[in-house]
Formats: sequence, C-alpha cells, structure tokens
Amino acid sequence: MSSPRLITLPGGLTLATLERGGPPILAARLWMAHGSGLDPTGARGAHQLLAGVLTRGCGQLSAESLADLVEGRGAALRAEASEDNLLISLKCATEDGATLLPLLLQMASSPRLEPDQIELERQLNVQSLQRQREDPFQLCHEALRSQVYSDGPYGHDPLGVIDELEAIPLSQLQSLVGTLGQRGAVLVVSGHLDGDLDQLLASTLNQLPWTPARPGHDLPLAVDTTSGPSLELLEQDTEQLVLMLGCATPPLAHPDSLPLRLLQAHLGLGMSSRLFLVMREERGLAYDVGVHMPARRASTPTIWHLSSSAERAGEACTALLDEWQRVLEVPLSAAELHLAQAKYLGQDAMGRQTCGQIAERHALLLGFGLPADFIETSLQRAAQLSAEEVLAVAQRWLVRPHLSLCGSAPALEAAATAWRKHGLNAHL
Amino acid sequence: MGSGAQIVSLALPQSPLVCLDLWCRAGSVFEDAGESGMAHFLEHMVFKGSQRLQAGDFDRRIEALGGSSNAATGFDDVHYHVLIPPGALLEASDLLVNLVFGPRLDCSDFHMERQVVLEELAQSQDQPEEKALQSLLELACGSHPYGRPILGERQALLAHTPEAMRSFQQRHYRRENCVMALSGAITPSSIAALQAHLEGSEFGQLASAEHPQNLPPLAVKAGHHHVAIKRLESARLLMAWALPPASQLPAVMAMDLATTLLAEGRRSRLVERLREDLRIVESIDLDLHMLECGSLALLEAVCEPDELLAVQAAIGEVWDDVMGAPISAVEFERSRRLVANSYCFGLEAAGGVASLIGNGTLWKRSDDLAAPLRELDQLDPASLQAHWLSLLNPAQACVLQAVPQ
Repeated sequence: MSSPRLITLPGGLTLATLERGGPPILAARLWMAHGSGLDPTGARGAHQLLAGVLTRGCGQLSAESLADLVEGRGAALRAEASEDNLLISLKCATEDGATLLPLLLQMASSPRLEPDQIELERQLNVQSLQRQREDPFQLCHEALRSQVYSDGPYGHDPLGVIDELEAIPLSQLQSLVGTLGQRGAVLVVSGHLDGDLDQLLASTLNQLPWTPARPGHDLPLAVDTTSGPSLELLEQDTEQLVLMLGCATPPLAHPDSLPLRLLQAHLGLGMSSRLFLVMREERGLAYDVGVHMPARRASTPTIWHLSSSAERAGEACTALLDEWQRVLEVPLSAAELHLAQAKYLGQDAMGRQTCGQIAERHALLLGFGLPADFIETSLQRAAQLSAEEVLAVAQRWLVRPHLSLCGSAPALEAAATAWRKHGLNAHL
Repeated sequence: MGSGAQIVSLALPQSPLVCLDLWCRAGSVFEDAGESGMAHFLEHMVFKGSQRLQAGDFDRRIEALGGSSNAATGFDDVHYHVLIPPGALLEASDLLVNLVFGPRLDCSDFHMERQVVLEELAQSQDQPEEKALQSLLELACGSHPYGRPILGERQALLAHTPEAMRSFQQRHYRRENCVMALSGAITPSSIAALQAHLEGSEFGQLASAEHPQNLPPLAVKAGHHHVAIKRLESARLLMAWALPPASQLPAVMAMDLATTLLAEGRRSRLVERLREDLRIVESIDLDLHMLECGSLALLEAVCEPDELLAVQAAIGEVWDDVMGAPISAVEFERSRRLVANSYCFGLEAAGGVASLIGNGTLWKRSDDLAAPLRELDQLDPASLQAHWLSLLNPAQACVLQAVPQ
C-alpha cells in the first residue's frame, strides 16, 4: 500500500495526501481525537451533538449558506463522533476541492454554534435514539455494551443518553470546541488531486486561530473493563431471540489484537467461517451470524451475534456457547489457520477500493499513532502466526464472556436456562 | 460469446480487485402462482453446491483465494458476485458458473436451507420499519408481483419442493436471460482469456429460453390507508408513486433529478420545510426504485404520531409550491450536480461498476456509462417541472400512515 505524504501546516495540523489518479473525485477526512469516550460526566452524547452542529454554520457562513455551498457543488459532507474520534468527511469533484476543503478547517476551528441549530440537532438525535429501540439488535447491543463497559468511556452509544442529551447547555459545547484538536488532529485527502493543496490549506490556516496537536501522541483513554452482570435479559415481543456473547479485548495496537482478528476471520468472516457453517449451514439456526470487532484505540469489544426463532432459542444458545468453549480448548487445524490467514489478507484489498476507504484507513492509523508500516507488518505477522499462539491469546482474553439476550419471555427463559447449565458458565 | 451468451466488461486501472457479477432475469416478478419466495430461496440453494461442488466448497475456495462472494434477489433479477484478486479470475469464474448453473438442489439441503430462509423472514418481521414498507407495497401494487414480499409467504415456503424449484430454475436460467459482468483490475488479454475459458462452460453452453418472459405493467392504486404496527417507536408516513420503467433512461434521469430536488440534502424542498423549518420530522426520504415493470418512488417520513396530519399537509404544500412557480436555475443546478456526482462516486469500486454494466446489459440498455450524464444535460427547469415533477402529485400517491400499536 502506498504511504501518504505528510506535512505540518501552519498552526500544527498534520496534512496527509494520497494521490490515486482515477476519476476526478477526492475524499477527505478530518480526524480529531475527541470522541464519545470523552463525553463529560452527565453529558453523554455531547460529542455527537457537537459533530452535527459543526456542519450547521462556521465562520462567515450560516447553516443555510454552508449547506448551499456544499450541496450546490453536489458534494457529500457529514460529521460524526465514534468512541475514539470526531470525524468530518467530505467527498466531492476534484475541481471543487479548492472551494470545499478549507471549509473543513473552518468547521473544526470556528463553528457558529447557533442556539437554534443546536436545538434542531439535539431533537434529531433524541428522536434517532428513540427510533433505534425498534431494532432488537440495537437493544441487545446496548445491553452488552453496558455489561462490558458499564458507565465508563465506551459504555454508551455515541448518540448519547436521552435525558443527558436533552440537558447539555451551549456553554458545554463551547468549551468542547475550545479543546478540539488539542488531543491530536489530522487531515487526510485521497483521490485525484489537483493544484497546490498545501498552499491552499496553509493560507486558510494562516487566517484561522487553530493550533491542533500532532495526531497519535495523546494517551489512549483509560477504559475500565471491570465486568458488570454476566447475563442480561431484555423482554420484547419478537419472533426471534437475539443473542450477543462478548467481552473486552485489547486495543488495536496491542500485540494480542492480531491473533484475535485472525480468530475473527476464522469464526465470522465470510460463508466459509466456522460460526456460519455450524450455526447456519449445519443446523439452520440463523440467517445472520457473525463476529463484531471494531478498531478501537483502547479496549476493543469482541461480540458474537446471531438471532434465532423463539422455539429454537435454547438450542441456539447452547450451540453458541459450545463454540465459544471450543475456541478456548481446541487449536485451529492447519487448514483452518491457512484459510483464516487468506481471508485476513483478502480483507486488506477490499478495504482500499475507494478514495474514501483509503482516506479513512490512513486517518485511523495516524490518529491512533500507529507506525506507518502497521498494515504491512500485520499482514506479514498474520501469515506467520501459529495455532498455538492464537489459542494462547484466546485463553488470555476470552475466558469470561457476557451474554445479552433480547426476545420473548419463553425464548429468554429457554436461553437463560441453557446458559446456566452450560459448562462455560459453570466454571466462571 | 460464440454461443450467444453475453459478457460485458470494463477495466478500472486503480482497482486492486476484480469483480465477477453474474446477472439473471429471475427475480420474484417471474414467480407463478404457488411459487412465492422461490426466486430468493433458489438463490440460497445455489450456494448449497452443484454436481461438482459440495456444499461449502465454493465459499471455501473463493475465500481461500482471498476473495468474497454474495448474492441478492430483487423483484426483477438476481445476481451472484465474487470479488477476487486478479490472478484468481479464471478459477473463480469456473466455480461461479458451475455453482449458479448446475445447482444440485439436494433434498436434505433443501429442508435445512428452508429453515434459514424462515429465519431470514422472522428477522425481517422483527423490524417494524420493514413491515410498514411491505404493507405499503401491498396496498400500492395490489395484485402485481411487486406487492408481494421477495422473501415469500411463510405458508408457501413450507410447501415448496426441490422439484418445483428445479422447474423455476430451468424456466429462467437461460441464455437470453443471463449476463456475466466483469470489472476492476482486468486487461484486454485477461478478458479474452476469460471469454475463451467460458465458451465451453455451463455459462457458454446455456440453452435458449423456451418461452418469452412476461413483465406485467405496474399501476399504483392511489388512496389513504392506516396501519398499527407493534414495536414501532416513531410513526411513519409512507407514500408510493408509479413512474416509467427502468428501460426509459431519460425518465429515469429526470426522476432522479426530481427526487433529488425534493428530498436530497438540507436545502432540498422537503427536508428544508419539514425537518429544518417546521421541525415535524426526524427524517424524510424520497427514493427512486428503478424497476422493469414500472419504477416506484417511495417516500418515508419519520415523525411523532400526532404530527402525521401536519406532515401530510406540509408535503402537499411543498408540492403546490414546486409546481406553482418556476424552478430557479440555481436550484436546478444544485440538483443536477448532486445527481451527476453521486453517479460518478458510484463508479469507483469494481463491484459498483460490474453491477451497473451487468444490470444494464441484462435489460438491453445502453452500455455507455456516459449516457446517463448526457440525458441529464438534456433537461431544463421548465421541462423538469412540467413533465417529471408533476408525476409526484400527492393526489396520485398511495399513502400509508403507520403508527405504534
């Protein structure tokens, strides 16, 4: 993979550019190390609210004029918070880059924070949170997140908690804006580039009072992973029972992360994966089954998920727990290891097909402070890992899973009984 | 190809991968009485193997090559695609055509996979938003196949047999009804090698269709309906309009422009009025579904139950405003750029391009990727308003209010 060209712009912002040729379009990501993990106490949802408000007016531009400018060029702009960062994303025609790229810097450094626009964004977020409750997977995931991270930095949805979101004052958003970039920021631009971007952005920054720190040099969040309850039941009037089984695993940069990601490829990636074969192909227990393992700067959750009809809830739960136990006891066969390695390598090319994907990947590497050759090193190391090393890492991190269940009362009862009886739970 | 089977390709020099995308005119619209859900169930069964490939062989071999595969069934067509490194092209094409054109339809696999399809159906039934959308399509399309769920009815699925599936497969997976699309990291020589390789394959040797396929024209029944859905948290106002079929490119591009002007971005008419100014919706979307029997425009507004009437009234006012005064050049240009850019953004990855040229060739449309942009340039604000925006008259829509039970 090609490396980005890095320069430091006036004020301290790191600019990374990746020339890709291809169609005359470009993608940009302004990555700031300020995510929902830093939401102030009692103000869960503050960073996502702030992210939304950044797109609602900056500098001399009102919310309307900013939208007119962006949409008038046919561009796509959005801003959102995840656990580790606040990200402003832009995709546009190359010819519009000179007009639109400087806006990203203005949004981050001098947002208008108009009270009326804050109220609108706040209401939209509250309504989204309310509507998310329609999705049983969302409910089940929320519960598991609490079991694993309780009310620590990773313990809530970046959208927030309704009561707290409704009470966040303007002054709190103002003080968050004052810190934006102080923990590190980077602007990554990828695609068909044209003109002197360095000069263009330098002249923008010369007129803005923005002094962000270099990315990746702040301390990762201290994420508490002291466990909450091991079993959580959520009653919903649904046909299926949703099951999520998971626990906290190490950060992306930790040496144990790679063996766990190889295990994820073995268990949950593609139709050849172990869980797909055992749960779906051999038993017809589920349509969707997989392993969720996001890239996190601090503790990374590993979550196995599936949904199965209420009448097969006990069987599905036992089968899922059997698989978890197997991971702790049985090393991968040579064929399984080889296939997992091929899939892990294959994923790499799939993640760099568009300039947006490329910009996002480099923003994450730089933002997390990972070495420039992190991906190459990981690919090489993955090809050399042994089944014994993978097993040892699984035994280190996966011994105490939590189970979250969402479904009808009889389905919950059947699955909870299966959990109580299972050997995996018995020795906890 | 020599046999008449069609391959269409487009190289993308930046792409690290190749996409092979096999399209077939075998969507749910072609299901006869008693075949509800058969097109989609067959798509599942295809992955259960052929005479040469045991269940799971295909997935394991594609993924061992560093690739991935998937499939999707729509109202009109089904497609099976693999994404693989360039060196694996010939091997992957072999596996794909053998899998798709020689399904084994083994009886015990059939019973097991039916469980999976029933789980998929149950999973979608647990999403109240999907139930609301299905209700709208039923009400809007009436007895037309687009009114029926692609996943099928539970009772019909329970009654299906491998023999009935074989009959559906043999009627529709025929030479005239299939296209292989190829895009990404390919060269003239790799395309020629693929073609030579496929001549003698199941794909190259496909038999000709015995009967022409029938596409019943779509009409939408205007009217107002109300439904209560359990586990819905916010109310939905849903609307459906009938539009010209996907074969009419000028209409497709014009309607893309019209729906963008109305509902794409904060400065679009509906979003600005209902979400930004009146603040009575959480979101409002107007999507164009290009379909062969007649396209559909589907509107979804998410709001509080007590705002439903206000939302409906505001949509009517927006339409009156749009039709009541000329569309400005600025507003037209904003919409035109959004449509053109969104089309160009979709041409970056091999999967998107293979899908576009595969589907276009399947339905005998132009394979010229610049044609949609040229159609866009033919439009002007006055004709957009008179000929196209006028099709979205709320009085001609099928309207459904979905509220929490």
